[in-house]
Amino acid sequence: MTLTIATSLDQVLAGLAAGARPIAGGTDLVVGARQRKASMPETLVAIDRLEELAQIDADKTHTSIGSGVTHARLMTNEVVVNNFTAIADAAALVGSPATRNVGTLGGNVMNGSPAMDTGAPLVVLGAVVELASVEGNRTLSLDELWMGPGTTSARSHELCTALVIPNPEERSGSAYVRLEYRRAMEIAVVGAAANIVLDGDGSVASARVALTAVAPTIVEVEGLDDLAGLSPTEAATRAEAASAEQATPISDLRASDRYRRHTIGVMARRAVDAAARRAAGEEIAVPVNRALGIGAS
Amino acid sequence: MAITDVPAFVRADGPDKVTGSGRYTADINLTGQLAAKFLYAGVSRGRITKLDVEAARALPGVFAVLTDADVPDVRYSYGLADRTLFARDEVRFEGEVVAAVAAIDEATATAALDAIVYEVDELPPVLDLEEAIADGAPQVHADIDSYEVTGDTPHWGNVATHSTIEMGDAEAALAKADHVITGRYISDASHASPIEPRAVIAQWEGSRVTIWTSTQVPFDARNGVCETLELPASQVRIIGPHIGGGFGGKCGVHFEPHIAALARAAKRPVKLVFSRWEEFVAPDRRREAMLIDVTTGVMNNGTIVARTGTLLLDNGAYMADSSFFPQAAAMHLIGPYAIENVQMDGKLIYTNHQPSGSVRAPTAPQGCWAVESHTDEVASAIGMDPVEFRLKNIVKTGGVGPAGQTYDEIGLDQCLTLATESAGWGQALPENEGLGVSIGWWPSFAESAGAYAKMHGDGSVQVITGAAECGTGSVMTLRMLAADELGIAEESVELIYQDTGAAPAGPGASGSMTLFNHGRAVENAAREVAKQLKELAAAELEASPDDIVLSDGNASVAGTPTKAVPIAELAAASETGEILGNGTAEVREWPELKGSSCGGEQGFSSFLAPQFSCHVARVRVDPGTGVARVLEVHAAHDSGTIINPMAAHGQVEGGILMGVGQALTEGTRYDEEGRQQNAGLLEYKLQTIADAPTVTTQFVEIYTENAGPRGAKGLAEAPNVATCGAISNAITAATGARVKQLPMTGERVWTALDEQGQS
Repeated sequence: MTLTIATSLDQVLAGLAAGARPIAGGTDLVVGARQRKASMPETLVAIDRLEELAQIDADKTHTSIGSGVTHARLMTNEVVVNNFTAIADAAALVGSPATRNVGTLGGNVMNGSPAMDTGAPLVVLGAVVELASVEGNRTLSLDELWMGPGTTSARSHELCTALVIPNPEERSGSAYVRLEYRRAMEIAVVGAAANIVLDGDGSVASARVALTAVAPTIVEVEGLDDLAGLSPTEAATRAEAASAEQATPISDLRASDRYRRHTIGVMARRAVDAAARRAAGEEIAVPVNRALGIGAS
Repeated sequence: MAITDVPAFVRADGPDKVTGSGRYTADINLTGQLAAKFLYAGVSRGRITKLDVEAARALPGVFAVLTDADVPDVRYSYGLADRTLFARDEVRFEGEVVAAVAAIDEATATAALDAIVYEVDELPPVLDLEEAIADGAPQVHADIDSYEVTGDTPHWGNVATHSTIEMGDAEAALAKADHVITGRYISDASHASPIEPRAVIAQWEGSRVTIWTSTQVPFDARNGVCETLELPASQVRIIGPHIGGGFGGKCGVHFEPHIAALARAAKRPVKLVFSRWEEFVAPDRRREAMLIDVTTGVMNNGTIVARTGTLLLDNGAYMADSSFFPQAAAMHLIGPYAIENVQMDGKLIYTNHQPSGSVRAPTAPQGCWAVESHTDEVASAIGMDPVEFRLKNIVKTGGVGPAGQTYDEIGLDQCLTLATESAGWGQALPENEGLGVSIGWWPSFAESAGAYAKMHGDGSVQVITGAAECGTGSVMTLRMLAADELGIAEESVELIYQDTGAAPAGPGASGSMTLFNHGRAVENAAREVAKQLKELAAAELEASPDDIVLSDGNASVAGTPTKAVPIAELAAASETGEILGNGTAEVREWPELKGSSCGGEQGFSSFLAPQFSCHVARVRVDPGTGVARVLEVHAAHDSGTIINPMAAHGQVEGGILMGVGQALTEGTRYDEEGRQQNAGLLEYKLQTIADAPTVTTQFVEIYTENAGPRGAKGLAEAPNVATCGAISNAITAATGARVKQLPMTGERVWTALDEQGQS
């Protein structure tokens, strides 16, 4: 195996074009290889020292979060915590302090697991993914990116460089909650993110909800347009029913499909409730799971 | 005593382990060392139709390939000698070792495994406990009648052993009881799960082999090597480097013989390091699954008049050390209650699962969980507070226990009072929270142990002991005992341990025996040195040896502290420049029983120096998901005199956290063919330190006769007994629902809530 520690993005892209695979924190790649899920690639190019991938930049309309930003930064960065709180909620639940210190947003997104924690928050916040290669750059919606468990539409020589998110609207709030059986080294049994915008009268102006670990990819709940005008409590109840109905969970070691279908509704309700409370100006500490005592929290 | 009041005493192995300078078995590398790998059965039950290793042996870089044909024809295991080192003709669980290879590196060893021609005709596995004892069930061991038997081990069909405990007339008492309550409880199998997967290295020099191994019991490991490879004890030396946890899982002989045999055949040192998957599936130390039925008869005034029960325990494919399990489990299913009429029937059942063996307080967490959950249901049936109900029925000082043992001074009633007071029993709690109480007991064990003590010319001391340190605290407490006898600082005492070539034999880190038995040997060895010091001092100070006092590094005359000589000077001036002591711990006597009859007697019907505990858990249940979180555990323990409070608190806190895991998240799942599905740390969910509840511990210190040093009893396993029961009762207090299967996962709690229409 050869490992090249890249010092520039061009070097990375050239390496990928020559067949290398990128490695940042390695928390999925190395662990997966050790568990014999996939063998370690023969050629690796390390991207963890590229400053340009570790930036969080905002302009008037959008915020770009570099793919190399670690979970530890996501959960504490002021911009992320204030404007894209659901991402901070999710990052704070990933693995352990050691995992969070090296694992990155780009790694989480590109691994394509339906149980990824940052995925549902990115969907409800309307993020797009920026891909770069020696052939040029392109932007994909997350819906276009994730094809199934562990598979994306990105080509093997493309690198995820950033996630770009529209800046939040007035009176908006987001939250991510998940079902977990213990408080560290855990993976989402099911999870839900919500992004809620309120009208001046406190009713819901718009609502987006996305679900973790109940389908082959992260999925957005459809048909929530008619939540507009409802109270947050009514909206949460409707989101619960819609999520439970639209989920297509499997039974595995972590939960039965029946239990997942029930708990995904509960998670969606709680995500909508927490997001709406944040939209109304209430401080709920990151992560919501700990603040509200969800599952093992 | 709060932990902050405990004087700081740094564990001898602490800095090594914290800084990373400590060496575990896997860290050791020897010149010319080969890598070992095992070929496993892969199926739960089958007949081997072909096993051809010639192609594997012919591979470049392969130095040895062994099967059953290459080792002595020995069957081993206590109770029933049902096992061979390598599978013979038939495989009986997925992790059974069929062949072993030693090769120049791991990749070559893996290639050698692939080159072995291994064909097996799969047979329908025996997996269900009730089906296993039904008529016509396939027999896991068709030749069971030909196996050598040790002890009182009745066996037939798939029943590996059968124990009963009877006292009074339970049937008649049940017929007269005001209420009769029955319950069925099921416990899934679980694992010791030490963070260090085991490793073994063997190196031969001539006819002698040295084996470095992750073992809690160096002498048991040596005896197992000697038995299976037919070697004299003088030719086998076991050395234990630092151990990364054991919890019973590293008791017994495990893979030391396989690696020693490989090294002999290869004529090179051979090293085995287990993967996490192997650590889950291959050892014969799984915590056994159980199917428990229990019935209690109670009067309206709260007196328990009878308790009956049947227990089916999953032995897995081979005996390991499990022959005492049915009787031990039966004692825990009765619980520490003074019940006059008792009838218990426990059967250890062969299945095609991984073998069960001692994991910390074997059989107790499951049995205690069942009976303590059941006891709350009995109290509820007569409308009595669970604490009041227990206080009325528990065993007390001078009273007679459920198998006819009369107790000296014991402190279970005080444990109940202290733990429930600490928890604020009866207080109003926030929504979705509940308090649950549970009591437990555990015996101390009678075995012999030896120790040497050697004082050097500089006054420092080496204590050479057969004890092991897998978290037992022996590196602290044994040094304290020697230092106190010799009047020197604890830091002046070094422990030489985990080396059968150096120490006298002893049980090691098993059965909570480190302090109880090894401790007495160390005291006696130090006393021999002290005696010689006093004689030397007496000559020097012109006093009687009886008047010499050893303290603060000096020998002085009692009442005349100015007449003193440094102990180091005495040692230096001695004839050989050092002073030697030799100590033995006599085997304690088991208490006698009156009025009971016990079939399949395995030494568990009477409890030597019985340890008692009460745990009260405060639990919050997330009503939407059923997931429980343990917020607090209030513990009170009667383990006799507490000698080293820091270690004692550590044992209780660790035992409770292990209990939380067993209660909520740790359970082995099997597929339909009997293979483990969650043999990894993502899906087999241990508790993490982030999950640890706040633990408050109090000790009821009662000097106990016929026990360990200074009236101490054991304390390594007792803290692992009562936690599951307390959590079970707290979940019910919080939700109204009762979960009758361990672990009480979120989904199981939610299902119970759903069934009672509360979700």
